[in-house]
Amino acid sequence: MATKKEAEVNAARVYEVGYHVLPNVEGEAVEKVVQGIRETIAEMGGSLVAEGAPQDMHLAYTMYINNEGKNTSYDRTHFGWIKFELAAEKIGALEEVMKLNKKILRSIVFRTVKEETRASVKIGALREVKRSDTLKVQTRPEKETVGEVSEEKLDEAIEGLTTPN
Amino acid sequence: MKNFLLQHDIKHVDYKDVEVLKQFLNPHGRIMPRSRTGITAKQQRALDAAVKRARYMGLIPYVQK
Repeated sequence: MATKKEAEVNAARVYEVGYHVLPNVEGEAVEKVVQGIRETIAEMGGSLVAEGAPQDMHLAYTMYINNEGKNTSYDRTHFGWIKFELAAEKIGALEEVMKLNKKILRSIVFRTVKEETRASVKIGALREVKRSDTLKVQTRPEKETVGEVSEEKLDEAIEGLTTPN
Repeated sequence: MKNFLLQHDIKHVDYKDVEVLKQFLNPHGRIMPRSRTGITAKQQRALDAAVKRARYMGLIPYVQK
């Protein structure tokens, strides 16, 4: 009889895998790599929840792969992700499969929740909020309306300013 | 202090939301302390995890010069 703890481990949990496909893999070959990940998950008894198709992106820093003693650098990749349900005991095996795939530069597998986790706030909206937070709008004071001043008074005022005390 | 995540109704901090994460990073790319971010302790822990995942996946840099 399975204990409560064993039952919890065997129960399907929601995970997400994020992956970078090498930039030299192009077109339909990228879709083949993704299809391979999907099939691996299905073979392990998992089911897909959501997916983000691979998109070209520039990496924030250069990544290196040591291939037979030779370092190859990459600064752009195809980045995609898949959210899926799978038994906890199978996750280690999936991570191994991802690591061994030579067309995948880097991958990450972690536990998440079934509902949508992406923020629905638009980037532009975020920036607007930031700006209004940091910058204070300064309004110019309205010009004082002064009536006409006679030349005599003007001269007196200038003299008052220029004469030493 | 204002809670940015609460204000924008963000319930989960996702490592792919780079623009959201950048709100909580200083110009060097370091995570701001909770005293600066103004979010709850639970949200700060989720933010830490998301930033570290994003760094590992090359979505944001470890350090900015």
